[in-house]
Amino acid sequence: MKSRIINWFLLLTGLGGVIGIGAIVYRLVEGMKVTWLTSNFPWGMWISYYIYFIGLSAGSFLFSTLIYVFGRKELEKAGRLALFSAFFALVAGLIFIWMDLGHPWRFFYVITHWNYTSVLAWEILFYIGYIVVVLVELWYLMRADLALMRDESSAGKRAFYGALALGWKTPATQEARDASRQRALRVVAILGAIGIPLAICVHGGTGAIFGVVKARPYWYSAIFPIIFITSALVSGAGLMTFLYALVGDKKGSEYLNIIRSLASWLILFLGIDFLLIGADFLVNWYGYVPDHMAVWEQIMFGPYWYVFWLVQMGLAMVVPFLIYLFKKNSATWLGIGGLSAVIGIVAVRFNFVIPAFAVSPVPLLDKAFHDARFAFSYFPSLTEWVSSLGLISLVTFIFVLIYRLLPIVNVPKEYSV
Amino acid sequence: MERITRRELLKKGTMVGAGVAVGSSIGRKASAAEKGEKTPLPKIVERSRDSNLERMEKELQRALQKPLNERHWVYVIDVKKCVGCAACIAACQTENRTPPGVVYRPVIHEELGKYPNVTRRHIPRLCNHCDNPPCTPVCPVDATYKRADGIVVMDYNRCIGCRYCLSACPYNSRLFDFGEFYAKGKGFFPIMPYENVHTYEYKVNWKRHKGKSPVGNVRKCHFCLHRIERGLLPACLVTCLGGVNYFGDSNDSKSLVSKLISQPNVIRLREEVGTDPQVYYLL
Repeated sequence: MKSRIINWFLLLTGLGGVIGIGAIVYRLVEGMKVTWLTSNFPWGMWISYYIYFIGLSAGSFLFSTLIYVFGRKELEKAGRLALFSAFFALVAGLIFIWMDLGHPWRFFYVITHWNYTSVLAWEILFYIGYIVVVLVELWYLMRADLALMRDESSAGKRAFYGALALGWKTPATQEARDASRQRALRVVAILGAIGIPLAICVHGGTGAIFGVVKARPYWYSAIFPIIFITSALVSGAGLMTFLYALVGDKKGSEYLNIIRSLASWLILFLGIDFLLIGADFLVNWYGYVPDHMAVWEQIMFGPYWYVFWLVQMGLAMVVPFLIYLFKKNSATWLGIGGLSAVIGIVAVRFNFVIPAFAVSPVPLLDKAFHDARFAFSYFPSLTEWVSSLGLISLVTFIFVLIYRLLPIVNVPKEYSV
Repeated sequence: MERITRRELLKKGTMVGAGVAVGSSIGRKASAAEKGEKTPLPKIVERSRDSNLERMEKELQRALQKPLNERHWVYVIDVKKCVGCAACIAACQTENRTPPGVVYRPVIHEELGKYPNVTRRHIPRLCNHCDNPPCTPVCPVDATYKRADGIVVMDYNRCIGCRYCLSACPYNSRLFDFGEFYAKGKGFFPIMPYENVHTYEYKVNWKRHKGKSPVGNVRKCHFCLHRIERGLLPACLVTCLGGVNYFGDSNDSKSLVSKLISQPNVIRLREEVGTDPQVYYLL
């Protein structure tokens, strides 16, 4: 890709990142009053983005296991990319939930005062285990390349690659190199196999944080942890399609085939996702239990109807399907379809968290006391918007920087696994 | 037959399993009452008019003579006596010095019937102090728990403010302290002196400051714990002009509340979710 465009992109996201850091600092200094959350609407934009990024991470990771555990060799070139997005998305998700805390500096209490009956407390453990698995996998995949880059580059970069290679030495003979590469792939396959249940716990469990809440009839359903996993796969496949269309080797003969293969996975997961959401809707609609349907009515015809119809149904459903049907021979179009799904899944998360609070669980409690912080309605404040978008740009900025520095897609010839 | 609740079963199972639960209750400071210390109780004023109030005060002091785990506080609300004056809301806010929007005791006003045959009904709300609370097990840091006497309390110094318990409460009885003040930020007003007064929740002196507990914490009704352990009835109850509220120990079979909750015209809110609320409504 043209480096001028990348430079402009870096400038833009870097600027966004700086503004985002400013907004986060402002929030940390001023406290939670900078949000427009209320006591009856305790979770909003940040929590939606938190589950979105955890999902994106789990989806990307599960995608990488297709390659390293299930041996889908045709996708191999997207493998490290998938693991890297898994790492960065998880970090973004954790920052989102961290800045949503009323006492952000007490975050370590979740370890020191760990409560075994809380799904959220279990999730924190899963996130930590999962991040370790991702990092160890990445190191095993890249150690040979990192060592090579260390040995070939000049002083400044040498220290950087040397630190990342953790002292790994390139074996002298070609045979030894092949053997060590095989060993690395074995380790990655085993870690990937451990990572599959872990990633399912990471995102299915994030769904269970909501699924176990019997206070909210809309959430209290066994189908939501499953929908969390399938929509994670949708966003993971979408992200891979988009990123590979963007950075993959366009001259390679396999380029279009890889993207088509990625896009087919995307369409499969989209279909399953649609089926599950449709099932939940139809069951609730048939029964029409007021508590349950009130939330669905909010989603479809409430103040934010367009988020459901235009973004969730449009961008994350119809657009990728249509592109797959009519533009199957264009890598660019398939990539756009992937991006569309990635953006659209944001709406799935928003539509999961936010409407559940819009309905009073006790009749007429919404008219009991008049105060902005007791309201049953919510719209993100300026600080919430700026900090969210800023944080996303910051993570993208670091991702692109790292992408340029590390052997993620453009691997040195000799060692490419 | 003694009913074993799910939580008790879980607890017992864990004890047997291995010391997994270590750290959940260790390290939390027990309050004076939990340690079994007794505070001197105030003298009861002889009242001729409202004998219920006097009776409840006597019963409260009687209950305080027992160890903590033998008391079980319940709250009864006689809905048809309520006139919707909102004095209890004001009393609660003054007693606990709650900031804007933090209201432990809202009152729901409801219009019934069709003109000209209309009437109004007022339903005071407060934390139900459920015997099977869904809000406590979800806390990732075990900052909220049910005491042996039935009160669901918050540990302000441990709460990280994640608001999971707010989502998990089927009654929206929990509130979040966003750190706002009544006057500050409206025009050029500073924080008013009345907003800087200490609050005595959980028998600790709290002063609201930016970033310091209870700002950034989840807050909730605690039956005026700091009052009842000194032998005083909850603020919302004593201020009520209609005598709508009753408070007492349901483990005491001779208490007024025990009599009231054994009547057939008693309901509790959203019983279908299995929370076993300890706030009873008389119809």
